[in-house]
Amino acid sequence: MEPGSGPVSLLCLAATSGVPLFCRGAPTRHQLPFSVIGSLNGVHMFGSNLDVALTAAHTEGTRVLWRAFHESITLIVMSSEEGANDFTLSRLLDNVFSAMVLVLGLEELANIRNVERLKKDLRACYKLIDSFLTPAERTGDLTQCVECVLVPCSTTLQECLTAFTGAAESRFGCLLVGGRVAVATEPWWQLAPQEVNLLAWLVGSLLPSTTRDYPVYLPQGSPMVPHRLLTFQLLPGLDICLLCGPSPSLEAVETELVPRFWKPLLEPLRACARPPSVPLHPGVLAFLLINHEQKRSLSAVLPRGVQAEGPTLPLGSCASVLRAFYALVVSHYFSCEGSPGELPPLEVPLGGGSHSARHCYVVSAGYKAYAAQAPPHQLFLLLAPEVPTFALRPLATHILQYLVGDAAF
Amino acid sequence: MSVPPGSVIVPDWLKSPEGKEHLAAILRKNKRKVFGLIERPVLPPQVASDTASYKVFVSGKSGVGKTALVAKLAGLEVPSTHHETIGIQTTVVYWPAKLRESGRAVIFRLQFWDCGEAALRKFDHILPACREKADAILFLFSFTDRSSFDDLPAQISRVVGDAGSLVRIVVGTKFDQFMHADVTERDVAEFQRTWHLPVFRAQSAAGSRQAGRRTPDAGTGLREVAPLLNGLAEHLWHQDQVAAGLIPAPLPSPEETGPC
Ligand SMILES: Nc1nc2c(ncn2[C@@H]2O[C@H](COP(=O)(O)OP(=O)(O)OP(=O)(O)O)[C@@H](O)[C@H]2O)c(=O)[nH]1
Ligand SMILES: [Mg+2]
Repeated sequence: MEPGSGPVSLLCLAATSGVPLFCRGAPTRHQLPFSVIGSLNGVHMFGSNLDVALTAAHTEGTRVLWRAFHESITLIVMSSEEGANDFTLSRLLDNVFSAMVLVLGLEELANIRNVERLKKDLRACYKLIDSFLTPAERTGDLTQCVECVLVPCSTTLQECLTAFTGAAESRFGCLLVGGRVAVATEPWWQLAPQEVNLLAWLVGSLLPSTTRDYPVYLPQGSPMVPHRLLTFQLLPGLDICLLCGPSPSLEAVETELVPRFWKPLLEPLRACARPPSVPLHPGVLAFLLINHEQKRSLSAVLPRGVQAEGPTLPLGSCASVLRAFYALVVSHYFSCEGSPGELPPLEVPLGGGSHSARHCYVVSAGYKAYAAQAPPHQLFLLLAPEVPTFALRPLATHILQYLVGDAAF
Repeated sequence: MSVPPGSVIVPDWLKSPEGKEHLAAILRKNKRKVFGLIERPVLPPQVASDTASYKVFVSGKSGVGKTALVAKLAGLEVPSTHHETIGIQTTVVYWPAKLRESGRAVIFRLQFWDCGEAALRKFDHILPACREKADAILFLFSFTDRSSFDDLPAQISRVVGDAGSLVRIVVGTKFDQFMHADVTERDVAEFQRTWHLPVFRAQSAAGSRQAGRRTPDAGTGLREVAPLLNGLAEHLWHQDQVAAGLIPAPLPSPEETGPC
């Protein structure tokens, strides 16, 4: 999908002056008229002058969410997407602001000195922000857990990464495969999950490059002082990331350290670059596994074999159906420890009652979906409609056992 | 100092059977192959060639077309809108060529260093990082922006600093926008007379290939980038030969003696 053609519009304004800073999502031809922007902001300002925080509004087809950050930036999101709920939109606002901090630093956002200058600087965030509006197979923006990928030879790669990172005078190193974390040094895991994801998405939103030296601010760890994010493309789809201070130079790491540490591992790295097949039941269209203790997640949309019968969802919609199912379950049924975090419970469980479900499922004409929780894990499955409903629960239990046990996630 | 085109490298060699064999190593499905840092083009053993690696810094004001040019040279998709480059990004381009003198084939590994003009101003470490051990600098101006052309002399002295011997090449971008040209051929000729620097013309417009006529290399876009890549390779090779004392150093060029 063309970025900017989706049913989600995002507005960013300077909170005190009401000056629009940017608008993303709405096709440029259908830019919101200034009067609408003004009213949307006005109603929010009116509330805050009376000490009333306006957070959300629903019309028949559209949801609107407001959020002010550091009394300086207001973000407004409008969505007419089918699966959208306040949970997904709230996460979106949070991610967008963090992305702005990542690229510009908090200082420039919290104390706006020159609106025109800020407007221009904010353009540098557009690509990253746009990637939230069309999230494709991404899940970490909703789960706030690090998106991981299982690779062969992870122990060897881990050792090499730790040694390489140390040689580059850093402690923060990570190997991304297809934009997900394959291995990382211990301090990298200590970063906030959102920061780890943002760094991976930033790398994914940039033009493909052999190496990069990119200034970044860590929204939680270092919002005022920039660090250098160095990236090295070892093979297509395989990038090493380092967070560094002023030294060493990009040139030095590339020419002196990369060949010494990584050339000997060419074969294991090649094995990582090939997408690993997850041997699951053929009826599984997509899955998402979360480990809440470690704040890590594993997910995939699985291409269907030729034996598939009946109408099937296209791959793209598998990902979005799974996202919508996840959002539905965590905002209504799984009142789980450590999921929505700072978010207040947004909705009353649909069935009434205050208990927390352990399993739930949805059956529709086009698919079935099943969620199971077994702390610290949660599993979300999207299945083909021909999988019998009575088989969902044993299947989910089996897959959970397989992924958690054998694959040791 | 300018190395005449075709004096070091055999032009059109890539169309010969031997050239095609080398070309196959950098293509996949009629597109340019992307190589990671720990790989390189693989040639059949009987044609194994040496690789010569160079660092090329691409400089020029914001929006002049640095990122677009590098994408074009690498055979990557050229972004259609201007997204300011925030830090440094480098791109490796492998380019096979035949040396006229020795008859040897060499694979040039050109690593282009592109950094956004704004980032360069905001962070002190970026300019030194791009200059560190650079073998060549491309100075970009845009045919549609007079000020970028007028600023060239100042830009050259600002960027080169006290760097030693360096290949310096001027590239005029957006040459396809002749309707909006703000710099004439006469301006360019006069600049070349005064500064004795090679000037290349580039068009890196997004999607220009679809608009162009269908040619055998329509998919690879190699024909459009060959003049600049060959020219750059010739200057780099020539500079190495001079540095190694294999050919006499050129006379001091005017920009070293002239007003600057
Ligand atoms: N028609 C045409 N457009 C071009 C050409 N080169 C660049 N552009 C356009 O000019 C705009 C800016 O190009 P960039 O390559 O992003 O500029 P830059 O020099 O990298 O700018 P900074 O990163 O901000 O320093 C983009 O919209 C390009 O599509 C060209 O040769 N022809
Ligand atoms: Mg650029």
